[in-house]
Amino acid sequence: MKKIPQQKELKDLLGPSKFSGDGYLGTDPRIPESIIEEDRHIIEQSGFTKEQLTESLKDALKKAVDALGDPVDILPGVTAVHYESRGKIPSPYRGDGLFQKGEVVIFDSKSGKKIIVTPLGINLIEKHNFFQGRGSRYRIEPEDIIVIFNLQK
Amino acid sequence: MEQLMVNILIATGFLAGMGLLLSALLVIAEKSILNFGPCTIDINNSEKILKVKGGGSLLSILARESIFIPSACGGRGSCAYCKVIVKNGGGPVSPVEEPYLSDEERKRNTRLSCQVKVRNDISIEIPREYFSVRKYRGKLISKRPLTHDIFELRIELLEPREITFTAGQYIQLKSKEYKGRESVIRAYSMSSVPSDKNHVELIIRRVPDGICTTWIFDYLEEGQNVGLSGPYGEFKLQPTDSPILFIAGGSGMAPIWSMLRDMREKGIKRKAHYFFGALTQKDLFFLDELRQLERELPDFKFIPSLSREPENSNWTGERGIITDVVKKYIPDTSGYEAYLCGSPGMIDACIKALTSTGMPVEKIYYDKFA
Repeated sequence: MKKIPQQKELKDLLGPSKFSGDGYLGTDPRIPESIIEEDRHIIEQSGFTKEQLTESLKDALKKAVDALGDPVDILPGVTAVHYESRGKIPSPYRGDGLFQKGEVVIFDSKSGKKIIVTPLGINLIEKHNFFQGRGSRYRIEPEDIIVIFNLQK
Repeated sequence: MEQLMVNILIATGFLAGMGLLLSALLVIAEKSILNFGPCTIDINNSEKILKVKGGGSLLSILARESIFIPSACGGRGSCAYCKVIVKNGGGPVSPVEEPYLSDEERKRNTRLSCQVKVRNDISIEIPREYFSVRKYRGKLISKRPLTHDIFELRIELLEPREITFTAGQYIQLKSKEYKGRESVIRAYSMSSVPSDKNHVELIIRRVPDGICTTWIFDYLEEGQNVGLSGPYGEFKLQPTDSPILFIAGGSGMAPIWSMLRDMREKGIKRKAHYFFGALTQKDLFFLDELRQLERELPDFKFIPSLSREPENSNWTGERGIITDVVKKYIPDTSGYEAYLCGSPGMIDACIKALTSTGMPVEKIYYDKFA
């Protein structure tokens, strides 16, 4: 099926650029709209809201950044470490502004799950419902957030 | 059938001809209608006046006049590094610029120079340092690891052969394309001493998945040519006699290392403490060189502190996060000046700690590009 121009544009925006060498789509064969729609469906099925998920990410990010590179315990068995990086990165969605570089690696020793959280990554979820494509270093599976942060209904 | 072919050929020829005619009209229109003629760019209240041909972006026209405003995105309006103050003649703020300008910046008429079109006379303000920014071609003559994730680069300048800078300033390094990744520009503080005008030294930490640092760590080899521009930045030692607190971590060593060696060369004997935060001993570097500086600078003390060093290791120095160690050594910082280089989180934590022990916030200096 021929793609409509808007689809092409969004796919171009989220592809490799001067600021993200690998882009935001990873190796995911789906178009961005499908990634967004399927993740939205997964969250809906889980009984949680996107806001609950992003709050957990924001809280962990802040605790790790405040620890200045020291590993910090978020929950029993869940550790977060901030890796600093100087400079800022613009959002691939024009108009969202600049975000501090650096990443927080969160590891859950119980489930063995690991996610990488960035200020830009949180913005993409919060504002555009975009958890990034599978195969992207910064893709976060919505279910992983629920498991790692032991979210309860 | 023959007549049909003739008709098709005539129609095709007609369409091609119309296309060419329209293209020619567009070129003529661009040259006549969009010809903004000669324009004047008044910089810093007539400190410099440029007579230029209007029509291009302020960023590109200034670059043609050898005034290089920092930029990382090549004028696409996405990095927001190329901010200047446009006092008049810049036209309205474009939707592209809006998300990158704070209220404070709007009040000061700050604009993204890549988005401002020079279509008439225009008055701007830029830091004076930009007048001395040059583009350089250099050759990497040394690349050595300092820790498991930090390298030191030493670049010999080929054209022009000399750079004049102040300890604490930074350059912009241009990476080359590799594995389908675009060439990019990133800022790095210089760690070399200003007296070594023929070389630029950099201390660079690998950024996971970073476009430029992956190129530096995995692709850039000794002997290769590199492109850079500089110097940029206002982070520099202030001309006072106040005692100094240097605080850094990781590659934040770079500008402090330059300042300290510059102090030694110039015989500056101000009292100075240098607090350097790291996780473990494997994250420390330049220990011998800094101990040597302690012997050469009469009132200088280097205090590294490790926050994750195993309890049973042979480390006998300070332990804990750097802000706690600073408080332990200098409980009253009111008479001091502080120079910080590190992550924004570290800088924020230091500002909080220093102001809580009496240091006026205006006496705290740090890298603006962090």
